Amino acid sequence: MQQLRNIWLLTIKDLKLFAADRGALFFAIIFPMLFVVLFNYMMTGVMGEDSRLEINLATQEPAGGISYQIIAAMETKDATTLKPGEPKITWLRDYEQAKQDVEDKKLSGFIAFPEDFSEAVMMGYGTSLEVIFNPNNMEATAALEGVAQSIASELGASRVVNDTVISLLVEKDLFSTGAAEDLGQEIQALLARQATAAGNEMITFSTQTVGEVKAENPANFVIPGYLVMFVFFTAAFSASQLVKERQNHTLERLLSSSATRNAVLGGVFCGTAAKSLVQITIFWLVGIIFFKMNMGTSPLAVILISILMILVSSAFGVMLATMVKTERSASSIGVITSLILAPLGGCWWPLFITPKWMQFIAKITPHGWATTGFNKLLVFGGDFASVIPEMLVLLAFAIVFGLIAVLRFKTNAD
Amino acid sequence: MSEAFLAVKEIHKSFNGQKAVNGISFTIDKGEIFGLLGPNGAGKTTVIRILSTVLEADAGDVTVGGYSLRKNPAAVRNLVGVCPQDLALYEELSALDNLIFFGQLEGLSGREAKSQAISHLSLMGLTERGKGKISKFSGGMKRRINLAIALMGNPKLLFLDEPTVGIDPQSRNNIFETIRSLRDKGMTVLYTTHYMEEADRLCDRIAIMDGGKFVAMDTPQGLKRQIGDPDKVTLEDVFLKLTGRSLRD
Repeated sequence: MQQLRNIWLLTIKDLKLFAADRGALFFAIIFPMLFVVLFNYMMTGVMGEDSRLEINLATQEPAGGISYQIIAAMETKDATTLKPGEPKITWLRDYEQAKQDVEDKKLSGFIAFPEDFSEAVMMGYGTSLEVIFNPNNMEATAALEGVAQSIASELGASRVVNDTVISLLVEKDLFSTGAAEDLGQEIQALLARQATAAGNEMITFSTQTVGEVKAENPANFVIPGYLVMFVFFTAAFSASQLVKERQNHTLERLLSSSATRNAVLGGVFCGTAAKSLVQITIFWLVGIIFFKMNMGTSPLAVILISILMILVSSAFGVMLATMVKTERSASSIGVITSLILAPLGGCWWPLFITPKWMQFIAKITPHGWATTGFNKLLVFGGDFASVIPEMLVLLAFAIVFGLIAVLRFKTNAD
Repeated sequence: MSEAFLAVKEIHKSFNGQKAVNGISFTIDKGEIFGLLGPNGAGKTTVIRILSTVLEADAGDVTVGGYSLRKNPAAVRNLVGVCPQDLALYEELSALDNLIFFGQLEGLSGREAKSQAISHLSLMGLTERGKGKISKFSGGMKRRINLAIALMGNPKLLFLDEPTVGIDPQSRNNIFETIRSLRDKGMTVLYTTHYMEEADRLCDRIAIMDGGKFVAMDTPQGLKRQIGDPDKVTLEDVFLKLTGRSLRD
């Protein structure tokens, strides 16, 4: 009981020192908020309408061809209903004008259906989609080629199904070979009728996006990312507190008081955690009040991950403190580890937009698990159960860092 | 026969194979001021760090007020107060906050700690500066606060490791007066210093330490008598005679 009181006294003392240090307050509270405001603004621009990818389609076929159906199905009717990441698809009515616009660099490029497209599809002979692009715009070019490829694959698959059905009917002797040719023509005619029938679309399109991104509010991933980074940063920086205690000889005084070594270590840990708690509370309050953050389906899980992140970062800070000898090395290592682990762990950008290998590397950092947990809850609409693995891993990180700190402090506190 | 409040038996301590304390033994009676003198690196601070439970001795035992340091360090901690050689203060906190914090760590309640803090500030002549930040204090004021913290919790045994380094005569005199008044109230004091006249004026007995061992232990008069007429010889003469004139740093 006495040691718990000592831990409490040490924690309050650390908070008093924190409150008395204007520089520390600036870097722990104000500076992170500036980052959040800046990056929230930048991410809003990235996810906004202005930078949306545009795919243009045109056809050289006479009216009523299958390409009309395809383009009508794909065309974006109302751009305001588009989800983040979905391209805006525009129907260019005048092929020649579109071509001229590409030449004049007014248009990045477009896909054109050939004049014989319907006939080729119905008769089953090959045809080519034309991709006309401005070579300077690589992003749009890649997108156009991707869309053209998709259309070709979709139609190719339809053709395979069609031919397979005919072959099966012939094989079952339901039709003679000659009859099969008639049947083929019948089916093509049916397809053509369906294609031209109003309101009865032959080809439907669906857009697949990874993980159902609903990032209408970038604060939902910007704030947790920077929260994780700065909480860790503050905790790592707090490592210098124990070094300072040693250099100022107050550690010697503490060790000769009624506080045991573990209580002293516990006090440093709780002091760091208390500072992080203040920081994290401010982050969430600012996020909810000023950035209209949505706390997802399980605010309890958000709180638990936040607390686990505080434990991990505080344990890391104390562990670091037991490994360094000078205040300068404590702050340098704290800053360097924070700056390396933050981008690797998805604090600067959401991990779900990074390549697989980067997502894999993130798994070795506590930041990666914390940001993944926050993203699951706040971006992908995950529930409590979905983040249990992240919670367990964060707890494991905290235990490992804490144990190392205790073992190191027993041997080098003198 | 007087009662030994502190008994040190054959303690040893090495750092990386280097003997810092090499089998010293002594006792300090209740209410006695015991001086520990020695050149730099003699092992004085290591002895104090062992006695105040910051360091663990490699061998030997210590009893304080009947409690074994090895078996019951917590009980020993409750009896001792330490004024380290270096200022051990939180510079960004006020004098009062420092005193109250360390008082509470000695087991005092918040109210008791505040009351004692105010009393000790008065003892040190710093009543008016209680709410001032330590960082704004002069060296002498910091030294007095350093000592005042050691007094929080009213320890029975006080370790003072060079408490008057680098301060003006007024502050030094204040500290002397304080130590004497504490002795008069029955406090036992272990005092280390480089100032020989200080030890001569203040200590009942003195041990001179060199190379981790005691080379002499007696009253100031008894030590002087070892090399000549105690009225003509100074403690510094004794010290140089026993520890040599070669530089130690």
